Amino acid sequence: MPPRDEIPPGTLYMLILKTLARTGRMHGFEIANAIQQMSEDVLQVEEGSLYPALQRMLLKGWVTAEWGVTAGNRRARYYTLTKVGRKQLETELSQFRRVNQAIIRVIQMA
Amino acid sequence: MMWFRELWRRLTALSRRKQIDADLEEEMRLHMDLRAQQQAEAGLNLDDARYTARRKFGNLLLLQEAAREVWGWASLERLWQDLRYAIRMLRNSPGFTAVALLSLTLGIGANTAIFSLLNAVILRLLPVPDPQQLVQFTYTIPSSGPDNWNSWFGYPHLERFREQSRTLSGVFGGVSLNGVNVGWHGTAGLAQCDAYTGNFFSVLEVAPQQGRLFVADDDRPGADAVVLSDGYWRTRFGGDPRIVGQTILIDQLPFVVIGITPPRFSIYTTAERDLWVPLHAIDRFTPDPSRWHAAFSSWLLIAGRLQPGVPVAAAEAELDLIHRRLLAEQLAASDRYGRQSLERLVRESHLLLRPAANGMLTGIRQMYALPLKLLMGVAAMVLLISCANVANLVLARASHRRRDIAVRMALGSGRARVIRQLLTENLLLAGVGGVLALAVARWGSIALVCMISTGDSLVPLDVHPDWHLFGFTAAVSVASGVLFGLVPAVRTTRVDPTSALKEGSRSSTRFSRLPDRMLVGIQMTLSLVLITGAGLFTQTLGNLRHVDVGYDRDNILMFSVDAKLGGYSGKRAGALYRAILDHTSAVPGVQSASMSIARPVDDQYYLIDRIGQVDGHDLPEAETIKVAWNSMSPGYFSTVGTPILLGRDFDLRDSGRAEKVVIVNESLARQALPGRNPIGHHLDGAEIIGMVKDSLYGGARDQLRPVLYRLLFQSEGGTDQSQWVGAGAVSVELRYRSGSGLVDEVRQAVASVDRYLPIFRVKTLRAQTEDSFLRERLLATISSFFGGLALLLACLGLYGLMAYAVARRTAEIGIRMALGARSKEVVWLILRQTLLLVLCGIASGVPLAIWFARYTKSLLFGIAPADPLVIAAATLLLMGSAVLAAFLPARRASRIDPMVALRYE
Repeated sequence: MPPRDEIPPGTLYMLILKTLARTGRMHGFEIANAIQQMSEDVLQVEEGSLYPALQRMLLKGWVTAEWGVTAGNRRARYYTLTKVGRKQLETELSQFRRVNQAIIRVIQMA
Repeated sequence: MMWFRELWRRLTALSRRKQIDADLEEEMRLHMDLRAQQQAEAGLNLDDARYTARRKFGNLLLLQEAAREVWGWASLERLWQDLRYAIRMLRNSPGFTAVALLSLTLGIGANTAIFSLLNAVILRLLPVPDPQQLVQFTYTIPSSGPDNWNSWFGYPHLERFREQSRTLSGVFGGVSLNGVNVGWHGTAGLAQCDAYTGNFFSVLEVAPQQGRLFVADDDRPGADAVVLSDGYWRTRFGGDPRIVGQTILIDQLPFVVIGITPPRFSIYTTAERDLWVPLHAIDRFTPDPSRWHAAFSSWLLIAGRLQPGVPVAAAEAELDLIHRRLLAEQLAASDRYGRQSLERLVRESHLLLRPAANGMLTGIRQMYALPLKLLMGVAAMVLLISCANVANLVLARASHRRRDIAVRMALGSGRARVIRQLLTENLLLAGVGGVLALAVARWGSIALVCMISTGDSLVPLDVHPDWHLFGFTAAVSVASGVLFGLVPAVRTTRVDPTSALKEGSRSSTRFSRLPDRMLVGIQMTLSLVLITGAGLFTQTLGNLRHVDVGYDRDNILMFSVDAKLGGYSGKRAGALYRAILDHTSAVPGVQSASMSIARPVDDQYYLIDRIGQVDGHDLPEAETIKVAWNSMSPGYFSTVGTPILLGRDFDLRDSGRAEKVVIVNESLARQALPGRNPIGHHLDGAEIIGMVKDSLYGGARDQLRPVLYRLLFQSEGGTDQSQWVGAGAVSVELRYRSGSGLVDEVRQAVASVDRYLPIFRVKTLRAQTEDSFLRERLLATISSFFGGLALLLACLGLYGLMAYAVARRTAEIGIRMALGARSKEVVWLILRQTLLLVLCGIASGVPLAIWFARYTKSLLFGIAPADPLVIAAATLLLMGSAVLAAFLPARRASRIDPMVALRYE
């Protein structure tokens, strides 16, 4: 098993938003798996912390949720990105890039 | 908007809390099951798979709590707890709650009531788009002092502004026709009518509710369009939309209703108009072609709307230029008598723009703005006093609750939490007080409007609660809740639980009583200020009532009629008025009757003229005599009770004579013909036939001035149709023996002359005089009420403080008495404290009262702002009430039985 890193603080929302933007409708477990797989198992979400984050995103109106049925015929709550959420993703991404580049510049100078 | 939607989601989620919790749990369970399934498929046995899934998930309970926290229920739950606790605490001490609520309700209610008037008179904006762009035109008049300005222009000015202004997007002008007689289906009724230019509604950006409003083409000679207000449409025409397109009669002239304005539309915030006709329609009522090009006339109000983004100063500069250029042109073309003063006007007059966002200038605003602001200040002081009272109550209660609070803090409550709890209690009190206050204020403001309304109808002030008012009340309630709650809360929680718990019930003696005393001291100070103010205003009203106006005020009934309203003009009007005078003087019970243009103590007309010739000699321009004048029928002086000192009254012979005759008052005789008998001399060619005693032309506040009396009906064409639009009504004065049923008989008498002619301004001279003191009466009544309220509250506060002091010092007093103190000395012990407080209050209150009184100067009559008698009386009243309030506790102290007191613990 390759080493796994905790995701950097503050980026969880961005990751969830991005994941939903890419794949559309997903439930919590799928989101957690997707993040893990897409990062080629480097990033690991502390799985439970996904849910308070999702609640906050519901409150902010970035996502909406509705109950549906999984492939294994179980009730699951599916999340979809809203317009506001899409906009939020853009701001978070650009902010993240800005900060990231700055950090990289600092590191390379040393 | 984002935060609002978020709040909305938060609130709606509140009702689905159980559902949300269940959803969350199910979702998390699903997650763990799926993870376990995955692990199992990877080869782990079932238990290990479950365990791994759990570990990877994290602390389930903590996460659930965190997810729930997102919605912010915890703080709401705490608030709810605090509220429930607060309600319980307040219910447990009904006495405290009742007294505190009463104080707060009166305090906040007083503020809300005055504010609702202030809101209606001064603050409310016109219900049109972008009202802050509206400006009203005025110009300065140099000859009458720096502060003097006029808002009435001539028509050439309006035309010039409309043609040349680039800074305004529109300029309109108009004039009030005041009362008109509106006839429809054979019934007549008085209504308030304005005449405005065709662009009036389009500049104001008002859209019709029914039909259409004026277009430029409506405003032409012979204009016959009329627009109804929503209110008038509903009351007179039952809100029937079919009225649009129909013809109604205004002063017997046909007009076609073209549309209805939206509800509440008005160009004044303090007055209503029932209908609008195009400006050029006034030629149909009173033809005067010269008014459209006369220079230096002033009969039009002008207002406009600024172009977006244009500052007022820029527009003012542009319009000032136009105004001055036009004046100069007019002067060059004029050959008018009195050039000197005109030249000065042209040289020095400047145009000023006044913001018209809350309506055109009206007398009500000018008259009541200062009194209302003063009363607002007074109400604020009353509120401070009641807050001080409640703060004192809370403080007294807090010392009882010390142990309770110490227990809570010992059990681990944070200080902030306890303060919040105490504040919640106070805010709850203030909130309930605020709600009750709204009810009190609603009733109070309607009563106030009734008070300032005179005569036939209510002043149309809209005192309906609006968001301003609710906001104000809420802010005042919260502010007072914090004001009386925060200090006690902070102080009560500054306890060390261990020592507080160990102490006995005497612990309260360790509290400093200084804040309580300061509060009562402040109450005394403010009360003194308020009583002084009340004294000044009451004295002013008394002074005004005792002024000898030169009329006999009793047993005179007056009413007005306007021939125009019946479609009469010229000679026919004269005949109508004569018939009305004959018929009303024949009414049984009427001793004598007369008719005049201005009535005694008139509140509408003040007629001014200049006399330029005495006995055929022209006076130099600087020495012409400015006179107030009036025209009347024979018998006026005997009817209103003004003695004729020399010569005789007008009589029937004079009406037929070609030579004009006049009567002068003492002041005019003294000025025009000093030291001579005026009878037989001539003023401007009219022979003086009599001299009457001086009377105050404009009522009690007026100065003695030269007055010229002319004979009504003498000149050709009936009444002296005067220079201003909309005038022409005459007043009838009746001296009666018994007034019961008189008004009805008078109405019948007028109806027997013309059934459709309304009479209005029906009033006795006493009522007319009283009404002219309205502002003073309003100030005197309300300030006295507030002063009394303040005194009562302050005395309650003092009583509470002293009663508490006596209870606290029972043991000490017991010891003193056991050691031989006599009851007189004990009484003195308590009274001494009271007197000290009162003296402190007086020492700070007297300068404060004098300082505040400066602002009342323009409202006072016959009394100086710092009248020593009033201040002395106020001081005595305060002292007396304070001693009275302290006497009960003092007497109780003197009756303490030493044995009982010493055992008391």
